[in-house]
Amino acid sequence: MLAIRGRIVPLSADRAVTPGELDGFVGTVWIGDDGMVSAVTRGRTATPAGFEAARVVDVGSSLVFPGLIDLHNHLAYNTLPLWTDPNRPADKPFLHHNTWPGARTYAADVTWPAYTFITASPEELLAYAETRAIVGGTTTIQGSPPKNRPRDGWVVRNAEDEKWGGRDANLVYASTLTLKPAGLADKAVRMRHGSSFIYHCSEGQAGTVVAQEFHDAQAAGCLQERFIAVHCNAVAPKAFSTWRKHGAVVWSPFSNMWLYGSTTNVPAAMEAGQTVCLGSDWGPSGTRSVLGELKVARLVSDDHGWGLSDSDLVRMVTSNPGDVLARSWKRQVGRLQPGSDGDVLVIRATRRADPFHALVNARERNVDLVVIGGRAQYGTPALMAAAGSTVTTALTVDGEARAMLLPRPDDPASPWEWHDVMARLEKVRSDPKRAIERGRLKQDAAMAAAYLARSRNGGGSWSSTSRPSASPPPTPLRLALDMPTGLAPLGGLPKTLTEIVVPPLAGLSHDREFLNSIVGRGYHRGLLDDLAGFYR
Amino acid sequence: MADLSLHAAAAQRGMLLSDVLRRRRRLIPALGPGERLKVIDTLVPLLEGVYCHLPQKRAGYAVDPVQALRLLRQRCVELTDGEFHLAITGIITGLRDAHTRYVGPSGLRGRVATLPFLVESFGSYAAARFIVSKLAETADVEDPDFVEGVELVSWNFVPMSRAVDVYATQETGGRPDARRARALETLTFRSLDYGPPPDEHSVVVGFKVGRTLHEVRIPWRVVGIPPATMAKDPQVALKAGWNPAAESVRKAKKLMFAPAAWDAQRLEGAKRKAPQRKTSAPEPDSAPAASPVVGSGAAVGGWIASSLPDVLSARTVPTKRGDVGYLRIWSFDVDDHEAFVTEVRRLLQELPQDRLIVDLRANPGGLIWAAERSLQLFTDEMIRPTRFSLLATPVTRAMAESAFNRLELDAWVESLTDAVSTGEVYSQPIALTDPAWCRDIGRTYPGAAVLVVDPNTYSSGDLFSAGWADHGIGPLVSVGQATGAGGANVWDDLQLSEALTGTAYEFDPLPDGIHFTMAIRRAIRSGRSDGVPIEDLGIRGIPYALTRRDLMEGNRDLHNFCAQTLHDWASS
Repeated sequence: MLAIRGRIVPLSADRAVTPGELDGFVGTVWIGDDGMVSAVTRGRTATPAGFEAARVVDVGSSLVFPGLIDLHNHLAYNTLPLWTDPNRPADKPFLHHNTWPGARTYAADVTWPAYTFITASPEELLAYAETRAIVGGTTTIQGSPPKNRPRDGWVVRNAEDEKWGGRDANLVYASTLTLKPAGLADKAVRMRHGSSFIYHCSEGQAGTVVAQEFHDAQAAGCLQERFIAVHCNAVAPKAFSTWRKHGAVVWSPFSNMWLYGSTTNVPAAMEAGQTVCLGSDWGPSGTRSVLGELKVARLVSDDHGWGLSDSDLVRMVTSNPGDVLARSWKRQVGRLQPGSDGDVLVIRATRRADPFHALVNARERNVDLVVIGGRAQYGTPALMAAAGSTVTTALTVDGEARAMLLPRPDDPASPWEWHDVMARLEKVRSDPKRAIERGRLKQDAAMAAAYLARSRNGGGSWSSTSRPSASPPPTPLRLALDMPTGLAPLGGLPKTLTEIVVPPLAGLSHDREFLNSIVGRGYHRGLLDDLAGFYR
Repeated sequence: MADLSLHAAAAQRGMLLSDVLRRRRRLIPALGPGERLKVIDTLVPLLEGVYCHLPQKRAGYAVDPVQALRLLRQRCVELTDGEFHLAITGIITGLRDAHTRYVGPSGLRGRVATLPFLVESFGSYAAARFIVSKLAETADVEDPDFVEGVELVSWNFVPMSRAVDVYATQETGGRPDARRARALETLTFRSLDYGPPPDEHSVVVGFKVGRTLHEVRIPWRVVGIPPATMAKDPQVALKAGWNPAAESVRKAKKLMFAPAAWDAQRLEGAKRKAPQRKTSAPEPDSAPAASPVVGSGAAVGGWIASSLPDVLSARTVPTKRGDVGYLRIWSFDVDDHEAFVTEVRRLLQELPQDRLIVDLRANPGGLIWAAERSLQLFTDEMIRPTRFSLLATPVTRAMAESAFNRLELDAWVESLTDAVSTGEVYSQPIALTDPAWCRDIGRTYPGAAVLVVDPNTYSSGDLFSAGWADHGIGPLVSVGQATGAGGANVWDDLQLSEALTGTAYEFDPLPDGIHFTMAIRRAIRSGRSDGVPIEDLGIRGIPYALTRRDLMEGNRDLHNFCAQTLHDWASS
């Protein structure tokens, strides 16, 4: 049992917690052993029954939010820096999502390095990407790459993989690539049966051919309440109102501005009743986490005169996506109220700081504690210890010491040292060819061993003479890339693997290197340069 | 060196087949009824949904392996274990496709049954004569008159020609000449991974010494040869075009007739840690290329040292028209196509620059990239690589659409999807070798070159031959009617299982170490024969019948014929 005491900003829909959804108060969030929020109480003295022995972590004037939700990402690519096509004129933004994969440099700059990591170090890659997310206060993220089995020891919740202890692995479907009508219709059926579908839809400049994708989705019956359309920046404003069973639009302003120089018409989507959420997209064209995306959303709203308030933006990373996911999960994240999941974010703030303004302006060094399912997953060493998470690994973020629960994939009882994760990724980066070849051999050998073991054991359930044997060797984690592969030889890779160059690993936070890499690049016409202003 | 010889000698000796079979019966439990059903129920949907030659085999041989397996399923429980495996083997072998094989129970994995001699034929197909072209040092042959060069007249009391053709019915090979060639290749060397052991424990061979008929009884022995594996790198292995059984046999022949080279390679393999092969000059303790594996009376000595002695040999050969360069490509079984092409290029530069014989006889295939990229070294013409297509079925569609197969199969997704409405039997054919890779080096050999093939030139050997013919690189001489006609890219069951994992068609491993290989993507020629399949047809050339002198005197007549052919080609 864990309790977090401080300035609670619950974004609760439960009127018993707060009269107004945006209200905050000094109080305590009580999380039971089941990882669920049992109560949210006001003041510093009330203790719900049964929580007398709870470990109470008092964060003083710091703000206690629901954990942030990043509803659009591509984790396999988050070691990569921002990408531009050096051969494309600076005044010619890409038209839509089918144009930039055709850039000559795309495969070499994006696909090949990502392939290197998923092949040679899949566990470390996901550990890195999820750590970057939690460093930015994220507790749930979408966009984990296709994988052959669930990954043990995750750092943050994966939207597609979360089963909540049940057997249904298909609560959330996702597709990055454009589907044909039959595929969309299939997803429409699945949505009617209770699943959510996250679909990259109409990503591109307004008025381009990809706007048709929205209409194709409509024709296939997808415009339902469990349809989560990512981007939609090519969708005409009026089209949103045809989506009568209101669903969700995921907005990635940095990525849109970077690639297309324009972005989703968020006011139109909101006016049409769609729930707007934020997502940081991916390394080659996105922020490091939704903590950065909040700021970009602020910049875009101000620049476009949309009048989005800080609370509007905060909802886009908390209660909005939480409610959207609840439509299929049947569980609530993104709000702190009885019955919701105990995912909590503590943002360091002064007593008088406006909560929503503080969160929009927060840097990684302000992320003091992240709790997922009632367990302190990341935070300052002091708060992690206070919360009872002591078997941790140490890392430095934005100049400050942090501790994180990161179990070893081969030994969940032992901490995986962060420097080991980084050392492995750097080793892979230093010799991609060797790393890929070894990774392939290792995966293949493990799969062959598992295959042979199952064969020797009678080949599975059919055998009437199957011989009991020791457990088969664990299946190695295998990942697949989910983004376009770009122009490359058949097989997607260069003639010789020596041609593959992996760039230096992108940092975990919105550091100076990232901010400098924005200036004079991309198609945002300088708008994104102002992101640096939040980090002075 | 004494240790190496002892090791090689022990490996050569192996064990008597009779002893191995006796032990095997104790080690290998029979398949239960459920397991037999599983074998059949796994193979049927894969043959129907993935096997790329199914329509062609049904048409060409009036066979239907799917129906045959369904019929077998009804009676499989009543069969003995041996009958069951033989029945499956017979159905699969009946496809006449060396790419598609049933690999029986694991008790005989990695073994090759051997007799200590090679049988080769000379003369025309209709009037073939059979001789012992190579004889290893062995105590198993008690008749001192049984030497290299003797003509064989009977095999287990059956006239030789008849005996070979009867055995050929158990072998793959579409055309009669291909079946006979395959039969001769495995008459005395049988990979037990891909076929049953010989019925007899010993053979009684009738041979002539002058006019006198002799008979000698020779026992079968079993040697250990690690199962042939195509490329260590699993992604590279998906680009394999080879006859795995022939590759095992090739290695067994190397052990038998070039034990020093076999031993040197064994040591080299033990030292090798990284997947890629060295491209530097061979180390002193490795066997020089002067001991080529096997071949029709290949000579020893005078070979240029090669960093890839297992797959490449080169030297100058004398002919009636003067010295001619000679490059033997034994196999394309390499991990590193760049190293292979680099080494071929280097060898070419050391040979006479005006005339060249490229010998691909008995090349069982290997890495498609190695074969196709090498073609550019011989011509100024832009090489258009062979293209490959998948059978258009729900299974291949699901396989191609899987996220894990995007890099490998994504290019075929669109045409596989369109095939639903167009009724196309196959997907669009797409090259496995990037065309840019086939012209990134350019011509190295300036002179005229002739390619020599035979019905055991298979798979990637077929592709190389097709490219040679279809781009008019030079004349093509064919011992027999044509190449072996292996027109596909082949995967094994593990590769196929991985590719189908996560789809509605994923399957469990077959029980008890049973495996299979299957032709997955069908090869279609390009250039002058654009659109023509390779399977069952092969690549035809100028016909040539080997002479006795070829077999016993280092291909002398063949070399002369090639030199004359080059002369005629240049004059025409």
